[in-house]
Amino acid sequence: MSDYLTIFMFFLLAGLAIGSALALVAQRNPLYSAISLVGVFIALAGLYLTLAAPFIAAVQIIVYAGAIMVLVVFVIMLLNVEEEVRQPLRLRFLVPVAVLLAAVLFAEAAFIFFFVNEPAGGGGNAVTTLNQAGTGLTANIGAGLFTIYLLPFEITSILLLMALVGAITLSRRAAVRPSELVVPGAQVLPMHIVDPARIGDATPVEAHTTAESAALSGLFDRAHERE
Amino acid sequence: MIPLKFYLALSAILFTIGVVGVIIKRNAIAMFMCVELMLNSVNLTLVAFSSFFHDVSGQLFVFIVMTVAAAEAAVGLGIIIAIFRNRESLDVDDASILKF
Repeated sequence: MSDYLTIFMFFLLAGLAIGSALALVAQRNPLYSAISLVGVFIALAGLYLTLAAPFIAAVQIIVYAGAIMVLVVFVIMLLNVEEEVRQPLRLRFLVPVAVLLAAVLFAEAAFIFFFVNEPAGGGGNAVTTLNQAGTGLTANIGAGLFTIYLLPFEITSILLLMALVGAITLSRRAAVRPSELVVPGAQVLPMHIVDPARIGDATPVEAHTTAESAALSGLFDRAHERE
Repeated sequence: MIPLKFYLALSAILFTIGVVGVIIKRNAIAMFMCVELMLNSVNLTLVAFSSFFHDVSGQLFVFIVMTVAAAEAAVGLGIIIAIFRNRESLDVDDASILKF
């Protein structure tokens, strides 16, 4: 009974995944594509459950269907993306070549699917043995992640930091442009630090370079006194 | 029960749909989502092998692939916003200055 239920669940989820993936490609509105992609993610999370990998299934829902897709939908809404317009095919003579290559690829895949047998050691396991092994339990994944795979885990954190810096650098506007008054690398100091007698003096010092502004505000001589 | 090759066949089908999407789509965000679909099909392969061979390494690799996908989403969407700000369009055919 449980066997039939598992087989039914596999084909239901596989059909949902393939149907959603086809809808993702076929839709012209990017927002509908994003919703279809969420369908693929949920179907794949169900397939992970049939493979006795509950942790990965939960992370799939939380990270992919939650975080990443919210980010994508947010960008679609922010940019007010228009629908794609179908354009006529260029390079039409390549269509027969594409059909031929696709047929070769399909034949190879079908050959492997029907004629290559699974290895005796691991293949053909029932889900009951998968559950008994407990491979996908959170405790086992945590133990693997923080012992033998600790270095990749730490490298992942550096990768995330780089992605954070890169995203900020790419998407920010050039807010402060170098002007004639503010030279890059120059510091803006209150006048009474340079000269204690001129407290309350808010006169801006107009200069084109850092050295010039230092000379105008009297900072230049004092810097040399200190050396 | 479900043999391993059913999972692999499903993964291959999803990967192929993703490749086709990247090739035929012209919208940058749609291409990005097709790349996410390809990453997910590879994740399915890794989890299937991991479960059938009782080795946790495959699922750890899936974890790391998900982290890379999150980083890719952040940087990729930043690039898309930068392109849109410069060209007022997300059509990749409009951003073809580097093309020979």
